[in-house]
Amino acid sequence: MSKIIKCTILDLSTLLRVTYTGITVNQIRSAHNVRPPRIKYPLWHLQRERAKDDQQLTEDNRAFVKEAVHDKFGMPAVIHGISTYEVRSPLKEDSVERKNVEWHPKLKRTGLIARKLGNYPMWSDNGKSMLATLFQVIDNHVIKYIPPGEFDPPRKPYSCPKHKKELGCLLVGAESADPQYYTKQYCGLFYREGMMPKKILGRFLISPEAALQPGTPLLASHFRPGDFIDIRGKTIDRGFQGVMKRHGFHGLPATHGVTKSHRRGGNIGHGGEKGRVFPGTKMPGHMGNRYRIHKGAEILRINHKYNVIWVKGVASPGETNSIVYLHDTILPLRKHKITPPFPTSKEVEDDQLIDSYKEHMYKFTDPTITFEEEK
Amino acid sequence: MLLRSLKLHIIQCGFAPVVLQVSRTCSNMPLSDTHQSPDNAVSGKQVKSERKLVVPSNSRFIYPEFLPDPKMEWRNSLREKLERLDMIQRRKHIDIPEFYVGSILAVTSSNQHAPNKATRFVGICIQRLGCGLRANITLRNVIKHVGTEIKYQLYDPTIQKIEVLRLEKRLDDELLYLRDAPNEYSTFDENMEAEYLPEGTPVPVNTTLVKLKPRPWRARWERKNMKGLADLELEERFYKRAEELATPWEKYDLMKQYRRTIPEEEQKEIFAEVCSELHEVEVMRKKLKRKKVFVKPTRSS
Amino acid sequence: MLSTICAARKFSTSAVTNHIMKLTRLRVVDNSKIGKQAMAEGKPPRCIHIYNKKGIGTIGDKILVAIKGEKVKAIIVGCVKEQKANIPRFDSNNIVLIDDNGTPLGTRINVPIPIMLRTILKEKTFSKGADYTKLLAIASNYV
Repeated sequence: MSKIIKCTILDLSTLLRVTYTGITVNQIRSAHNVRPPRIKYPLWHLQRERAKDDQQLTEDNRAFVKEAVHDKFGMPAVIHGISTYEVRSPLKEDSVERKNVEWHPKLKRTGLIARKLGNYPMWSDNGKSMLATLFQVIDNHVIKYIPPGEFDPPRKPYSCPKHKKELGCLLVGAESADPQYYTKQYCGLFYREGMMPKKILGRFLISPEAALQPGTPLLASHFRPGDFIDIRGKTIDRGFQGVMKRHGFHGLPATHGVTKSHRRGGNIGHGGEKGRVFPGTKMPGHMGNRYRIHKGAEILRINHKYNVIWVKGVASPGETNSIVYLHDTILPLRKHKITPPFPTSKEVEDDQLIDSYKEHMYKFTDPTITFEEEK
Repeated sequence: MLLRSLKLHIIQCGFAPVVLQVSRTCSNMPLSDTHQSPDNAVSGKQVKSERKLVVPSNSRFIYPEFLPDPKMEWRNSLREKLERLDMIQRRKHIDIPEFYVGSILAVTSSNQHAPNKATRFVGICIQRLGCGLRANITLRNVIKHVGTEIKYQLYDPTIQKIEVLRLEKRLDDELLYLRDAPNEYSTFDENMEAEYLPEGTPVPVNTTLVKLKPRPWRARWERKNMKGLADLELEERFYKRAEELATPWEKYDLMKQYRRTIPEEEQKEIFAEVCSELHEVEVMRKKLKRKKVFVKPTRSS
Repeated sequence: MLSTICAARKFSTSAVTNHIMKLTRLRVVDNSKIGKQAMAEGKPPRCIHIYNKKGIGTIGDKILVAIKGEKVKAIIVGCVKEQKANIPRFDSNNIVLIDDNGTPLGTRINVPIPIMLRTILKEKTFSKGADYTKLLAIASNYV
């Protein structure tokens, strides 16, 4: 505090000196009490939606605008089961095999943006059934790479100032959309790279070795069956809930003279010196609608035609049809043992390869499971 | 026919103008509607033989599990499609025949615990639940005077064979009341021979009325409006209470029905997608069957 | 008011789970003398302890029953409660009485028993502990 005051006094004196040496005497007030903004928003935090104005275009004009959009960006097409546009990024071609860096476990690859499709059962080849959750990788493309020096995250952890200084930032977009519906500055973010605007953006912290050219498509084959992933998504919004639902309290007795408080939490504090409510006390409040990470989920199967990933278990956050982010797991014992597709997988035109399964999973194309008799 | 019957039904109730917009099918409609009249069923078969791509009108009764769960929050078109693809893949390896609640089935499944690694269970189908790959049935039989039930998942890869020993329907969609009935209603011979039903004949309806054991029961059957139950012989107060709790207006609640069922247009779309492949599988199976029939005598001789 | 009404009635209004827990009445299905007598008198045995951590018994669990004033151990060979796919469910909670060595008291089991018991009981048998596999030998029918 004293330092700041000193600084300001010094500043003032210098300013004053300047003004005295000048001809006119203007009182200049220093802005010492205006603090810099705490959060510097990243460059992709832009006004997105445009105010809708129909402009009263005629049918012909509307068709012309559509044609112009298609000329500029590409024709609408169905790629991997999603209606999107044919991306014609000039950088796309030699993007993946640009560098020949050997993968090692300390390198951090990019993640994917996916949509949760729901769940259905899968069977292992000993007849055991398990529920799997389906995620579709929805038309992901690399938008931008910001190297570690330039990348300045808006919120830095207080504890370790060096944190993530070695990591760059990869901006990934999902689901192409008509540029007519977005603002100019938002479209400019993509247009510079020759891309359609994307509906969903995601930021992934990666090692500089894993950087990718803008326009590179990211596919489900980025992961392999048997890998473990972390799934980050927004949990189901349940609104304002009591302690029984929110924290699993038992409530109070139904009888024995209890009135009007069968589902309440009971006591929340003590008297005397501790005569206050401790921070973090579990109380009623808003439940859900916050980001949660399901760590170490195993991939059972991947469909390359529709870019769908089957993950074991039903614990991943979010409703059906919600957006989730898939990362390589951070759990130390479940990290990649063998080299994964690095920095990402290449697009392979192979009509035969539709499904790839984890080992010891029952493939639906396989015949019925039979057990062999012992002895 | 279904649509017509629904319309007539509603016209009688005085809601005629609404009908054209909200006329849709319903999977758990009363049996008088679901039961196909013989001429209609035959005409359906004829159409099928002439033009293969025409979807048979009774698909939703033969393949009910191809219709997805109607709960809006859980629906996703791509997942449903992938699920159907997997189901057809599985159907290439196992014949899942046409059957209904009340039919007598025999399921052979591989079992690690059995000495010959396979078990067979014969019983009456008392419940059919689930959509897609989760579709499951419950079979019930009385073995050595003890009622035994096993639940089978239809698309479980350990199931080797599903045979229909007697194809028939009962008056209800669920026969859970057989648990409270005397044993003779659910006793079936394990070595029962399959009964032959000529192709094209409508599925017979078994109209036996089940006489329950005296209370206590597993459910209050007088409140469930079951058609296949004989007189329950209860006191007046039970029926009175059942009448109080009944919700007879629900069958006119079109919104409720809409939420509970898959719209007819969507059903058509789904079956049009699945039909040709299912037909192929069926034809392949018929060929194999004929081959088997032909081969058998040569083997024995 | 509501709570007093709830307290007044002596039955549970929650859905029936059909768990085998302490004080559950069971049915002896072997032909041991004590079991036969108890069933014939209309005094079926009562579960007084379950030898697992959950306190709820399923197929293959060892329990302690009170039968005709005696404490006898038994193995559960069939449950009423809902089971997973491919596992049979019965209309009665069936038990077979055993002694401390795992030898059944009777010589014959008159009802079908689940086939998965063959594996479960073999896994529970150790070389110097109780031998439960004798139970499998007296079974007449598997499901």
